[in-house]
Amino acid sequence: MTAVETVDLTRDFASLRAVDALTLTVPEGSVFGLLGPDGAGKTTLIRMLATVLRATDGDASVFGESVSRAPSRVTPRIGYMSQKFCMYPDLSVAENLEFFGTLRGVGRRDRTSRSSRLLTSMGLAEFADRQAQFLSGGMKQKLMLAATLMHEPDLLLLDEPTTGVDPVSRREFWGILSDLHVGGKTVIVATPYMDEAARCTDVAFLDAGRIRQRGTPAEIIGRVPGALLEVGGPHRAALAALSGNPRVLSAHVHGDVARVLWDRGSSAEAVAEVQAALAGLDADVRPVAMDMEAAFTFLAEVPTR
Amino acid sequence: MRAAGIRIGAIVRKEFRHLWRDRRLLGIVLLLPIMQLLLFSYAISFDVKHIPTLVVDQDRTAASRAYVSAYAASGFFDVVGQDSQTSAVDTVFARGDASVAVVVPAGFGQRVAQDLTPQVAVLVDGSDPNAARIGAAYATALNASLSQKATVTWTTREGYDVARSGFLEPRMRTWYNPDRNSSIFLIPGLIVAIIAIVTVQQTAVTLVRERDLGTREQMLVSPLRGWELMVGKLLPWTLLAFADIAVIVVLGQVVFGLPIRGSLWFLTVAAAVFVFCSLGMGLIISAVAPSIEVANIVGLLGSFLPGFLLSGLAFPLASVPWLLRAISYLFPARYMVTISRGVFLKGAGWAELWPQLALLSAYAVIAVALAVLLAKRRERV
Repeated sequence: MTAVETVDLTRDFASLRAVDALTLTVPEGSVFGLLGPDGAGKTTLIRMLATVLRATDGDASVFGESVSRAPSRVTPRIGYMSQKFCMYPDLSVAENLEFFGTLRGVGRRDRTSRSSRLLTSMGLAEFADRQAQFLSGGMKQKLMLAATLMHEPDLLLLDEPTTGVDPVSRREFWGILSDLHVGGKTVIVATPYMDEAARCTDVAFLDAGRIRQRGTPAEIIGRVPGALLEVGGPHRAALAALSGNPRVLSAHVHGDVARVLWDRGSSAEAVAEVQAALAGLDADVRPVAMDMEAAFTFLAEVPTR
Repeated sequence: MRAAGIRIGAIVRKEFRHLWRDRRLLGIVLLLPIMQLLLFSYAISFDVKHIPTLVVDQDRTAASRAYVSAYAASGFFDVVGQDSQTSAVDTVFARGDASVAVVVPAGFGQRVAQDLTPQVAVLVDGSDPNAARIGAAYATALNASLSQKATVTWTTREGYDVARSGFLEPRMRTWYNPDRNSSIFLIPGLIVAIIAIVTVQQTAVTLVRERDLGTREQMLVSPLRGWELMVGKLLPWTLLAFADIAVIVVLGQVVFGLPIRGSLWFLTVAAAVFVFCSLGMGLIISAVAPSIEVANIVGLLGSFLPGFLLSGLAFPLASVPWLLRAISYLFPARYMVTISRGVFLKGAGWAELWPQLALLSAYAVIAVALAVLLAKRRERV
């Protein structure tokens, strides 16, 4: 089953094309990561899927219903969490859940039970009476997620839910998303964090309103050719020595080491070849596993296989 | 329909929670009307009594003293000083010690005794036109009455019967407000202005705030309809406006002796419709204002100016320039002031005031519908 399908979905803002003829299918039950830099079109795409923004051209359907022609049949099945905190700051956590639950048509009994269950599972139970404005950043995001879940939607549209949240809260938040995934929900989550991409079942890398890469995290990593090596020690000198070397697909400073993508060969062969190329420098060359961040960095410069 | 009712109920409850948490706003909404009523009733008083008066009696006869004492006896003039030089008038006016001066020239008594027409001068400080106008009118009336008395005395002495002379004698009576007490006249109008200010101002910012908070977007993905949101926003403020009306009416009765001569039931219905008009206006502002600040300012202008200047509250609308008079028809305040005065002072009700009520109702429907449409224009763009 398909949760979301877009066909040539386009959105212009004045002279800027934020989403450019985007065609995309998101299978039901996936945790779909929308990656990409600021301004790539992630928020625009999510807002169009949430029916709060109109498409300039093309269309999208959610569980088979068009977001432009039948938004009222789409909205009951989706939960939309905007990038900005959108709860009432002067209402308590419980009052916010109560309000948005009521608005979504959740009956009184279900409101009470769901609200307390959600708050308990998110560790917010003891803050139920606290006004939303006095919550920490991570708690605010969890409150928004809880409000989004009150009517038990099948598809969650989350726009950068963990941006600006501390690492511990981020991990907790993703723990909740995993549980939702296990429970069969479809999640579309925009994130600028590459480490979060690895936790998705499916990812798409957006740039300038178009999809540049699309697949499972393993597929994306598998697309990067060659072997990834880390060069420690005099890494800037090493980068200088390797520049112009035809076998280097890409090389970057990464913290206090250099990361080099060597065109082919097993890890062991690549290490030996790079050490040979860096003879004379006291460099420490070791193979490292490819991660999403490295994969996207290299895929942006290297033609895919 | 039941689901719509539940959603509207949720909005109403939420609005009351906002208000309850914002104690400053709550204080403003509940105390401001009382303060405004007291301030305006005492400050905007058009009553002119006890006009400070300087007497320049250059005659100093029994006749001149009798004439001058008529001023003090009338209750409209307070004799604050006596002088023998007309030059003193300028000084006293300049200091603001008096705004009327009565000059009785030498020879006044003699002319009275000789049955010749005596002359007096009444000087009025025109820098306060309202007081000047009223002072002059009182003085004219007083002198007319004194001359008439003199005429009657003379004709009687000469053996004529004045009653047979076709002498015209108008008998003036002031209805509805016999003492021409200006606070009685002002309070029914003030109720209208105060309601307008409280409601327009508050609703003007309310939708803008939902947009700024991002909560409007959450409402868009819920089954909540545009009109449900509007009604949910209107109901709490309607209730509060009625609380304000009740406070002002009670205060008006207890403190200022405001009568309620007409149908209270009619007034309640009209007030409810008027509150909806004002809220509709506020919602229109809210739907088009780009920011909270703009909404605030426009809300203030949109309630204060029409409420005070274009409603007939303080100035008769017949005497304002035609352009402003034309504009006044666009604001509901003028119709409500007519209704309010009619009910409080004239004992009017459905039979007399239904056209105003019909206009207000049409206004309310159009305003709220327009607000819904305008708000919709800015959503799902």
